[in-house]
Amino acid sequence: MNGNKTQKLNYMKHKSKFLLFAIFTLLYGSASAFCGFYVAQAGASVFNNKSEVIIVRDGTKQTITMLNDFKGDLKKFAMVIPVPVVLKRNDIRVMEQSLFGTFDNYSAPRMVEYFDQNPCQKWDYESDMYENLKASSRSSMEDKASSVYKREKVTIEAQYTVEEYEIVILSATESGGLEEWLKSNGYAIPENANEVLQPYIKDKMKFFAVKINLEKARQMNRQYLRPIQITFNTPKFMLPIRLGMANSNGEQDLIIYCFTKTGRVEAANYRTIEIPSAKKIPTFVQQNFVQFYKDVFDKNYEKEGKNAVFVEYAWNVSPNWGVKCDPCTGNPPIVQDLINAGVGWIDAQQSYTGNVFFTRLHVRYSREKFPEDLTFIETPNNATYQVRQIITHPATGDFQCKEGITYLQDLRTRRRLELQEMQAMAGWDSDEYPFYVELGDGTKVPVEKEDGQNRNSFPVWFHGNGAPPSWLLPVFLLIAASTIYLIRKWKWRNPISTELR
Amino acid sequence: MPQTDARWYQIGFQSAFLLFGTLVLGWQQEWWRLVLIIATCLSVQVFFIWRGLQNLQSFRSALITALGLCLLLRTSEWWVLVLAGAVAISSKFFIKINGKHIFNPANIGIVAAIFFTGKAWISPGQWGSDTLYPISILIAGFIVCYKVKRAQTGFIFLGILFALEFAKRYLFLGWPMDLVLHRFSSGSLLVYALFMITDPMTTPNHKLARMVWATILALLTFILSARYQIYEAPVWALFLLSPFTPLFDKLFQANKFEWKQNTKVKLYETQK
Repeated sequence: MNGNKTQKLNYMKHKSKFLLFAIFTLLYGSASAFCGFYVAQAGASVFNNKSEVIIVRDGTKQTITMLNDFKGDLKKFAMVIPVPVVLKRNDIRVMEQSLFGTFDNYSAPRMVEYFDQNPCQKWDYESDMYENLKASSRSSMEDKASSVYKREKVTIEAQYTVEEYEIVILSATESGGLEEWLKSNGYAIPENANEVLQPYIKDKMKFFAVKINLEKARQMNRQYLRPIQITFNTPKFMLPIRLGMANSNGEQDLIIYCFTKTGRVEAANYRTIEIPSAKKIPTFVQQNFVQFYKDVFDKNYEKEGKNAVFVEYAWNVSPNWGVKCDPCTGNPPIVQDLINAGVGWIDAQQSYTGNVFFTRLHVRYSREKFPEDLTFIETPNNATYQVRQIITHPATGDFQCKEGITYLQDLRTRRRLELQEMQAMAGWDSDEYPFYVELGDGTKVPVEKEDGQNRNSFPVWFHGNGAPPSWLLPVFLLIAASTIYLIRKWKWRNPISTELR
Repeated sequence: MPQTDARWYQIGFQSAFLLFGTLVLGWQQEWWRLVLIIATCLSVQVFFIWRGLQNLQSFRSALITALGLCLLLRTSEWWVLVLAGAVAISSKFFIKINGKHIFNPANIGIVAAIFFTGKAWISPGQWGSDTLYPISILIAGFIVCYKVKRAQTGFIFLGILFALEFAKRYLFLGWPMDLVLHRFSSGSLLVYALFMITDPMTTPNHKLARMVWATILALLTFILSARYQIYEAPVWALFLLSPFTPLFDKLFQANKFEWKQNTKVKLYETQK
């Protein structure tokens, strides 16, 4: 691909266009979820939808930074997360939101732009462009300090005020007691939280309960919730998502930015799958890439049976490593970003040594399809990967030459394929873009279709909406068994085995 | 009744799993990796056949080992695949007690690749958790195990492991049942239990010994995964227990009837 200089040049050249798709973002609704659940005081309705987590894993040391998109009245914000140990004051930090922005911008699914060269003209015109930005908004907050007291069967292991947050770490012997404690302290517990709290209590997990400290928040004049970061040692490389499902309606999105020493992180108890990448798609998708990627994700989510974990980016981002994306969608995380996230093994003082591998995972989970908390494996797999789709702009000018005519023919063929690719990937109906092949025009024309008409010419399990049909495995096995049986029966009558016997 | 060598069934089923995983489940598997593993295993086997240490039929065993490695082992380095294949097959000829090899070839290949190179791993989640997959694997596994009279080993292992998981997750911790089933529907675990630990060549000869052996294996697996959070626990458990197999053979030798019966099974040459 192009070198960094060319990229920069192209960047300047197309700055105006750049702004056009500056809104390419991966925003999935406004509300938010967490590994824990958002609890609100009685009556407040909280709809959890998306959350972001940074996990840094170094041996058994784990640093988790959680950003929430809480949209309700912030004085009602409260969160409970199961943690394996009682955290010390130094293990809890409040970070700046921009940290997530950096990682998100850098690893988000992207689009790259190429330009054809006019075969009848001599000059070189090639380009490489992309963009993906992320917008986010927050709402304001306010709170009153919670009064904490001890109840039977609940022990307050520690209690801290960390910047604008009031943090209590609880251990409990019985879920009823914990529920009662949380309720009486202003944590509205969902009805079915009990069945989830009990297993965590039995597993000797502690509960990290967070509320806003009204005074401090007012002093700091904070208008949004800042991410909370916790560090602890645990042999379990996992994220407790089950609690988050207690008060959620349906599906929630979770983006996980993982940083490890050796290589990619993958789920140990769910399938980990790459989103299709490097596909050639029509140029008009540029105007609506956000929606396009959303649809691609939806389609893959359905196709993989709604219980897969998707990789969106995987790359070595060590400070001393060369290219970290192709093309890059944002400034690479600087050493300080990595250190802030909890990457403690890079030497910032000397030559920035140390290996850092960045994996971005995207999970859409629901209670039904994700019965178990997510557990992960740090693999030595350091194969690079990014979600990167390609659009190619046609050449302009005069095509009055032999090559020019061939070029135009090839262009039409290519555009037909691009439309097919678009339909296969995102489910957008290619018939709705009748002008694209000839004119390159992405005007959408609604097409009336009979109900239930399947316009997909590919096998359903390959490009369709459903999960891969599970009956295929028994069929495969049956074919294998009958083949062997028939071969043995018809041919050799197993002379070797008979001999041996 | 003349019987088809169970190894053919095992080869057939394992190939079907591999095709299914690659085509339908989208395992990131380039074809040259599969070819490399199979080629390595077969060529090492050829070497030993040429040295007169094995007969031609042992190709089947080598192929089973190769397919087992293809199904379970993941790496991004080609030489790790070669190493795993070579260690797997050679172990059958170098690590022997009383003419019986100690380690399951695929198992030691995986252990060597993970432990010595640090460039390999296992993806226990690669099967997902569709209910039909485990059922299909169970049936296919049962056919093969039944043919080599090792069904009880695999099912005792699975049964005890399930009982332990059920007791811990459902009875003790109080998770709902679907969590226990989800943990247990891991295709990798079932393939391992029914196609690797049931290897008649590396399990104890005596039926009772095998039952005890499978029980210990299940306990070891459970402890490694629950206590030490080792995700590839079954592989390590088998590796740790394998050196004690000769001891089982020695202890349970007294029962002549069973021993004879199992010697006959051994003569089928259903080694993997």
